[in-house]
Amino acid sequence: MLVHFILKDLKIELRSKEIITSMFIFGLSVTLIFALAFQVAPAMIREFAPGLLWVVILFTSVLGLNRLFSLERDEHALWSWSAGPVDRGTVFIAKVISALIFVIFSEILFIIPFFVFLNLPIEFSFFQLGLILFVGTGAIVSVGCLISGITLQASQRDVLIPILLFPTASPVAIAATKCTQLLFNQKSITEWNYWLLILGSFFVIFTLFGYLVFNKIVEE
Amino acid sequence: MPFFNHRNNLIHAGIAVALSAINIFIVITLDPPNAAQGIFGNIFYIHVPVSWTAFLLYFMVMISGIMFLTKKESIWDHRGLAFAEVGTLFMFLILTTGPIWAKPAWGHFWPWEPRLTTSLILFLIFLGYFMLREFGGNTEQVSRYGAVVGILAFLDVPLIFFSVKFWLPEMQSHPQVGSYFDSGNLFPTFLVIFSLITFIIISTLMVRFRVSILKQNNIN
Repeated sequence: MLVHFILKDLKIELRSKEIITSMFIFGLSVTLIFALAFQVAPAMIREFAPGLLWVVILFTSVLGLNRLFSLERDEHALWSWSAGPVDRGTVFIAKVISALIFVIFSEILFIIPFFVFLNLPIEFSFFQLGLILFVGTGAIVSVGCLISGITLQASQRDVLIPILLFPTASPVAIAATKCTQLLFNQKSITEWNYWLLILGSFFVIFTLFGYLVFNKIVEE
Repeated sequence: MPFFNHRNNLIHAGIAVALSAINIFIVITLDPPNAAQGIFGNIFYIHVPVSWTAFLLYFMVMISGIMFLTKKESIWDHRGLAFAEVGTLFMFLILTTGPIWAKPAWGHFWPWEPRLTTSLILFLIFLGYFMLREFGGNTEQVSRYGAVVGILAFLDVPLIFFSVKFWLPEMQSHPQVGSYFDSGNLFPTFLVIFSLITFIIISTLMVRFRVSILKQNNIN
């Protein structure tokens, strides 16, 4: 069931290319605005860059999550599957995995222009950056999917998602920025592993919480 | 529900106003807890008990949320909403008294102290909670969504606190009850003020609870 739901979202995205394209273009535009707005010394931009990167990721994630859950609202798709013998917790996990795939994919696309536009030196391990991006994005989408599910029927959905997500995800913003900053400053992983632990805890806690309460959120 | 009537509410409101006046009198006449800060330090007599009660109220929002999701009794939804509203009012008091005290102590109004920052983030999450309750869908849906956000907000507390604490390690010198004060043990004084504030909260909750039930009866 889990695989079917993930494949459904991937198949829809493969046909329309709507979510990743919009996230990529939006991420690229925000990066461009940052690059133009922060005309400062290269050493200073290196200090700002981790924060800017996670602001871009947070904004693009909101865009992606909004679209991903709108698929369930269009044509009343939500009612079709919620009427069947489907475990809603499994649907939540499927949504988290789909969102993670989409956001990571768009990150891969806009992170190259991000480094190019801001003239950032690449003197770190790609594997470690990948690890931070994976855990940090996982933490954002776990709570993001839960909030998107809650606001699915709301009249002011577009406003409610960021209003609830940004303060809730503030520990992610702090921890992910710190991890990335220490990585960019070529510190060893032992100096920032506790930040990774906070991100990982956030990811696990909110994925489990979402799994447990999603059947209460999606009720007929 | 005979206990929740207009007469009882008025009696409680009268006692609450009298207790508030006693509270203010106690705070003004007590010796400053830290001689160097003079009368500004006296705000601590209010700030600490208000913080205890605000976090206690948000904890009760979580408990009400869990009870509502498991038992599905609307009484827990009314309780949760009442706790959230009064809790947010007290959170606002923390965010007012904290900076007033921080200015003479640290030299600036917002020192990014972990507990104060956690209060601000929780306050913002609960502003989103009220927006969700207003625009989230029909009455039955928003009750469930509100319960989930109430639990989610409190789950976020340790993550916010530790990420802010690690973020600015120099803020570890924040005043701790017992180590910061010149005069002896202030715990009994805090306890007296805490008890007075608790009564004020109970009377406020009773009014809010009654309004909530009357509103629902009116809708039905």
